[in-house]
Amino acid sequence: MNHLVEFSASLQGYLAVGAVLFSLGIFCVLTRKNAIGILLGIELILNAAGINFVAFSKFRTGLIDGQMVALFIMLIAAAEAAVALAVILRFYRLKQTIDADEASIMRN
Amino acid sequence: MNKVLLLAEILTVASAFVVGLHPNILYASVFLLFTFCGVAVMFLYAGADFLAGAQVIIYVGGVTILILFAIMLTQWLYKIKLADIRNKMLLPGVLSIAVGTFLYRALHQMVAALPPQTPEALEKFTATPKTALIGQALLGGYLLPFEAITILLLGAMVGAVWLARPE
Repeated sequence: MNHLVEFSASLQGYLAVGAVLFSLGIFCVLTRKNAIGILLGIELILNAAGINFVAFSKFRTGLIDGQMVALFIMLIAAAEAAVALAVILRFYRLKQTIDADEASIMRN
Repeated sequence: MNKVLLLAEILTVASAFVVGLHPNILYASVFLLFTFCGVAVMFLYAGADFLAGAQVIIYVGGVTILILFAIMLTQWLYKIKLADIRNKMLLPGVLSIAVGTFLYRALHQMVAALPPQTPEALEKFTATPKTALIGQALLGGYLLPFEAITILLLGAMVGAVWLARPE
């Protein structure tokens, strides 16, 4: 138990959580046919990247540059989510479905 | 004290498993909210107080609500057929585990290459408030990316409104 608590506060603990989140994000993107499900996977992947940047910023460099990159990742993720959801709503109005496999034409 | 961090990491990973594996998209997106909260606590313990606040405001208060809105606007809530259909699980599972393991190993080598911080330096880094430092960095060395991201956010906002306009 004590060992586990120590591991959770170390750089390796942060990297392990980041790796698990990244793997699950890729799995989510690859397996889901639902367009919103794919977006959930992308959010997981971006969060995993942010965790790694913040962890290296604290445990190795001691500078805030890693936190700056994590902040920019967060802002880009917000912009991406807004545009993606607008596209999904538009697609739903067009096709009455949000199955990503149906999105196979560039124009109607 | 550090048990909170361990609990937050367990919460993060467990909710991420639900996000990745639950067949109903509504449950998956609600558990994404818990993942974001766990990541915010992890940020807090890594000395990123400003980022933890931004994570709660942007992700928990913004992105998750937006996703829930989109789910409720586009489909019947408990209709599993529309919610998710998954046919091939084996190849994506193997591929994602392989990529995750590879990245963890690669980062592990990088950990060995960089010199570790002393415990006193770690203590000092965690105790320093970061909001003023981040503000100075945004108007100093990070001015160009900051301006670029403001234009990106404006473009994204205008684009989203234009895409979702009524006919």
